[in-house]
Amino acid sequence: MMSSLNGAPLDTAAPGHVDTSITKDGFKITTRKLPILKAGPIEEMTKKLGITPPEMIFGDNFMRIEHVPSGWSIDFNAFDALDRVDKTGDSMLKVSYSKEWQQNRQKQFEDIKEVVKPFDWSYSTDYKGTTPDQPAMQPTDAPIPLALLKRPDPIHFFDDVMLYEDELADNGIAMFSCKIRVMPARLLLLARFFMRLDDVVFRIRDTRVFVEFATGEVIKEYTAREEKYETVRKTLAGTREDVLSIMRDPNRLAEFIPVIEKSSDRVVLK
Amino acid sequence: MSIGGSDLDRAITQLRACRPIPENQVRELCYKARELLIEEGNVVGVDAPVTICGDIHGQFHDLMELFRVGGDVPDTNYLFMGDFVDRGFYSLESFLLLLCLKVRYPDRITLIRGNHESRQITTVYGFYDECLRKYGSANVWRYCCEVFDYLALGALVSGAATALEPTDGPIADNVTVDLPDPEQDIEIETLNANGEVMFRYARNGDSQSSATSQGNSNAASSSPVGPTPSRSGAAGTGATSSVNGSARNDTGAILCVHGGLSPLIDSIDKIRLLDRKQEVPHEGAMCDLLWSDPDEIDGWGLSPRGAGFLFGADIVKCFNYKNDLSLIARAHQLVMEGFKEMFDSTIVTVWSAPNYCYRCGNVAAILELGEDGSNAGFVRRSNGDRAGGGRGWILGSNAGPNGTSNEENRRLSSVLGESMQRPRDGPGRRYRVFEAAPQDSRGMPAKKPVADYFL
Repeated sequence: MMSSLNGAPLDTAAPGHVDTSITKDGFKITTRKLPILKAGPIEEMTKKLGITPPEMIFGDNFMRIEHVPSGWSIDFNAFDALDRVDKTGDSMLKVSYSKEWQQNRQKQFEDIKEVVKPFDWSYSTDYKGTTPDQPAMQPTDAPIPLALLKRPDPIHFFDDVMLYEDELADNGIAMFSCKIRVMPARLLLLARFFMRLDDVVFRIRDTRVFVEFATGEVIKEYTAREEKYETVRKTLAGTREDVLSIMRDPNRLAEFIPVIEKSSDRVVLK
Repeated sequence: MSIGGSDLDRAITQLRACRPIPENQVRELCYKARELLIEEGNVVGVDAPVTICGDIHGQFHDLMELFRVGGDVPDTNYLFMGDFVDRGFYSLESFLLLLCLKVRYPDRITLIRGNHESRQITTVYGFYDECLRKYGSANVWRYCCEVFDYLALGALVSGAATALEPTDGPIADNVTVDLPDPEQDIEIETLNANGEVMFRYARNGDSQSSATSQGNSNAASSSPVGPTPSRSGAAGTGATSSVNGSARNDTGAILCVHGGLSPLIDSIDKIRLLDRKQEVPHEGAMCDLLWSDPDEIDGWGLSPRGAGFLFGADIVKCFNYKNDLSLIARAHQLVMEGFKEMFDSTIVTVWSAPNYCYRCGNVAAILELGEDGSNAGFVRRSNGDRAGGGRGWILGSNAGPNGTSNEENRRLSSVLGESMQRPRDGPGRRYRVFEAAPQDSRGMPAKKPVADYFL
């Protein structure tokens, strides 16, 4: 596991590069990578969000694609991603041993049964990026042209940016990260929420943004995958693979977890 | 072969170079360590001066940086609050080095258990894989896990001074406002890795100097080095408003524990009664001590996760009062500034893994507590043989002849739940803040992300 830690590439290390960017045919791509927030900004964010932010909160980071001529842009940042986390506790998950724990506990402490500030602490979000109202994207059936992306075109710009990560109090992992690669004629951005709650559930929610520079075509594809932990574990146990290491790697896991939701949107920018 | 004397020194040298020692030496070392740890009580007595450290998480090169900043063993007396392993890439070298130092200098280093010192957690979060990769079998992991079961659950520091000895360190460049006169009783001081003073706070400082220190803290935190936390500094300032009137007061003991308190534990003696020699259970007092977190709530709360406790300021203040503590030091939670004081400085989180997981960009801190010159008030309990029942040092009645009755009065008022005043001045606290060791010293891949044809 030297190459990745819980699926996060090792080389996301570089905290502290401010704004790298590249422009291609009117599309300006910008990324910002800074350390996790300090206590003050965390408090501000907590107030604004209404929930406790994840343990590792890269609140200053973002990844952005702007089309300067049309004013269109798509932005991925931690605040907007977290603002879409359930803040009521209605969709709250429980750790695997919660039932056992609470049964034993309630006998002893009748007075401590209140969950303080309930919310979806797995930080599951269906965030698909922040876009302006105009020009608007429309639903489409057009898929992202994978064949074009499989070609080994030179990569002129590449970056990965972490937005947030939480170890779920050592019950698994939740992380939101973005990657982008810019080739001479097109780009691909992958924004991924990955969550593993040990012995409970896996979730992978990917937003892919494809841009063809020459035509100004933008396709945004959202794919949500989800499966019970035990089901995935059983499937993997039947293979000759290293089960534990696959369970940490969303790239590998995706093929073992069925798609439960999919949508595509498109816009052609002039 | 046996590991003792010169072998041990050789192993230490090898581990300091971040090279694992042979499996048979690990077995021998773990055996020796267990023999030593079994003699320690659940709560180890430690005398100030001592340097308290939080999570390490296998960041070996940063542990070396910690020793550079805080002084080497045995010159400095260390207390590590657990989470030596997992997450980082050198859990094995980090833990074995600490263990070697423990066996070599048992009175100069104290190790207590974190929630990651567990079979279950290490199989998921890296240490197991690392052992397998470095030795080709799980034997070493198994030896280490057996040691984990013997680690103490907490430590009680006594004899800490209420005021810091002034450092001769220069003032850091980026500090632009006046620091309190070092002639005053210094309660809090933050130094950077070069030993330069970044923040200083005088006990009982008037509002003027308090505002000054806070301004200073903000100035420092916006600087590039900038690890001095505005919040922590401000928390320090809060301490004065409730401080005792008396000019010089002895400080109570300091409880060190990885996570926090438990609703099952209202006294330190109850921790001493636990049967700790087992895997960390999923519930119960031992679990809580390693897992719980302080939070801005009233009383106790259940974590939204469905297991584990949160505890509020009233719980901490009441516990400290009852147990004659002036401070609880704990680790367990990542804080950007390396340390975070909460609840009028009655509890502090110390975090010692800089740039956590090699990507958080946080600084780390260690907490130094000085030695109280007038240590005469501290007595051994008759059954407090340090190596025996582990009761270690406890506070004697150094409040004078009337100490007991004062004690009673205070206890009564606290039970009645009046606004709890600080029964004791906190210890003088010197935080040394440091950043991650330079990248090139760790043989890690370059920082720049490697482009890949992801789909």
